[in-house]
Amino acid sequence: MRYSKLTPYLFILPMLIGLLVFRLIPIGASFGISFTSWNVFSPPRWIGLENYRTLLQSPVFWEVARNTVVFALVFVPLVMGLGLALALLVNQKLRGSTFFRGVFFMPYITSIVAVALAWKWILSTRFGLLNNALIEWFGVWSPPSWLGDPAYALFAVAFVLAWQSAGFQMLLFLAGLQNIDESLTEAAMIDGATRSQVFRHITLPLLSPITFFVLVISLIASSQTFEVTYALTGGGPQRASTTLAFYIYQNAFVHFQMGFASALAYMLLLFVGGLTLVNFLARRRWVHYG
Amino acid sequence: MQRPLALAALLVGALTLSGLALGQTLRYFSWETNIADETAALIAEFEALNPGVTVDFEALPPDQYWPRMSAMAAANNLPDVFYMSSGFITEWHQNGLLANLQPYVDQLDLDDYFTGALSVARFPDPDVGNLHAVPINWVGPVLYYNATAFDEAGLAYPSAEWSWDEFLEAAKALTIDKTGNGRIDQYGYWVYGRYAQVEPWIYMNGGRLLNEARTRVEPNDAAIETLAFLSDLVNLHGVAPRPQEMEGIRQQDVFPLGIAAMWVDGSWNISNNRSIIGDQFTWDIALIPTGPSTTDRIGYTWPDMLAVGANSQHQDLAWAFVEFMTGPSRGASSFLGGTVPFYRPTAESEAWLERDQQPASKHVILELGQLPSRTSFTPNWSEWRGYAAAEGGGMNGELDQVFNGRKALDAAIASFVAYGNQVLSRSYPQP
Repeated sequence: MRYSKLTPYLFILPMLIGLLVFRLIPIGASFGISFTSWNVFSPPRWIGLENYRTLLQSPVFWEVARNTVVFALVFVPLVMGLGLALALLVNQKLRGSTFFRGVFFMPYITSIVAVALAWKWILSTRFGLLNNALIEWFGVWSPPSWLGDPAYALFAVAFVLAWQSAGFQMLLFLAGLQNIDESLTEAAMIDGATRSQVFRHITLPLLSPITFFVLVISLIASSQTFEVTYALTGGGPQRASTTLAFYIYQNAFVHFQMGFASALAYMLLLFVGGLTLVNFLARRRWVHYG
Repeated sequence: MQRPLALAALLVGALTLSGLALGQTLRYFSWETNIADETAALIAEFEALNPGVTVDFEALPPDQYWPRMSAMAAANNLPDVFYMSSGFITEWHQNGLLANLQPYVDQLDLDDYFTGALSVARFPDPDVGNLHAVPINWVGPVLYYNATAFDEAGLAYPSAEWSWDEFLEAAKALTIDKTGNGRIDQYGYWVYGRYAQVEPWIYMNGGRLLNEARTRVEPNDAAIETLAFLSDLVNLHGVAPRPQEMEGIRQQDVFPLGIAAMWVDGSWNISNNRSIIGDQFTWDIALIPTGPSTTDRIGYTWPDMLAVGANSQHQDLAWAFVEFMTGPSRGASSFLGGTVPFYRPTAESEAWLERDQQPASKHVILELGQLPSRTSFTPNWSEWRGYAAAEGGGMNGELDQVFNGRKALDAAIASFVAYGNQVLSRSYPQP
């Protein structure tokens, strides 16, 4: 069949237009907007680097940036550990493992708002399932306010998001595990390796490309956390669980400070971009292909 | 044969054309999603009265309403008629987005309306300026109380004549560990840093949050005294729970669930109370008691308004719709719980007072409307006050720290004043 060189491009044109109109142009535009003061309903006013200066001098920004880092430090290991543990569990050739794969994946396809509402009820200080269990079964007389205490709120949000999304990481790890040539593990076992030795010296290294991929997407997911914060804590108490993505939403769509919000978005881009770059540079040390 | 056909075609064409000329479509946006059915019925009535007119109606919850409206304003595509809040009207007027409705309002007999609610929509002068929106209803915080709990404790019901000490004594008597397990089952009161729970106490004590020119956050002594009183209810007397203890329960459900026997919040909560409480206990409303620093009663009431887009192509028709939605043609039943119709005879009607339902004293809200009113709305109010999706920050967040026993009141005040003035300096640059 003969076709012009342009024909394939014609087929991907709808996708390209979508990408351009809904992603690339807004990304470019928001860079421009970050140098303006713009409340949406009146024309933007050019203020140069003022938004960046304001945010770098704002203690609130640094508090929120710190929360974002802490959130990533808690969420990423938690979701990766959970995902890997679940993948190892359902990778066993046991009856019912397919069923459990579905069960563990279920939270990921459940609406995050519904998940957050259920957890809000579980974690409720006075009527929550968890605190009542702590009182009744463990005699903890005054259990903490998981969502209302600044010491716990950020961790509670990270935990709920990890619980919700671990099914996806499980799926990726599972694909990686099933890709490992069984003859390698069998050979190691015949040579007298214990299960934990096989896991450390065969499974983990061969899984490292997948682990690297999961690490990168988990880091990105942690920096984009919004819905779960919105539904669970609203960023409170007193900003204790506000991360950058939620702070951007507040400034853009609650306070209508689009210029400031755009500047924040570019700080987030720097943060995620920087981390991803570090990851790519560090991967030579621990990622093994083939 | 051809002639009748041509005639018929001509007739159809003429009818279509005249239909297009007559057929006008008004776009109407509201944030009242919970009375969307009632609104649709009213619109059908308006359309029946105005043949050829169609009203395109959309209701969005407030957190989606404002982003959408702002985007439409930016695209010069505002609806003809839309809801406007006291918190946003100044900025919207400053940006020339609202039509001047004064020429239309001049034709109304304003004696029939709650004119106290108009000042927030007059520009440039709040007393004699031109109206740029018309209240559809107004609301204000009242003191809700669980009459059954009062009866059980042998207490007299709250009254506007109460002193704050009397309020405190009642709250103490109503704070009860019913099961004897050491945990309080019923608190006397419930408060957190929310505007509708804090400001009414401040104003009833003669307090102010803003300076005279309304350009800076500057709480006066009476306001600080009020904040200390509210903080003591939680931290010193233990008659109200810490906000973090109520985490996981919607704040508006604490009173109707019977966890607190008294509560101050907006009159619109009547409908939520009705649906949760049912006939489990008797409850009523009263005016908030006057504080020790004043003898003047100052209420806190504000309107929800209808505005017409400055660039609407159907200004006259839009006004006709606004008049219909805010005037005598609209019955009491289409107003939710404690929202008071702008048109006085409707508000004073038996149909609105609903004496056969709880609360028995709905007339208290009308009394509140008779008082001089104070508010603290400014440009960017939601940001410095901490409202809606930003409730965790600003003054609300700081006060919650105080109520949670994590921050001293002085430090919290210093913090929200500094933050508030930083926000306000964007609209009112400081010398």
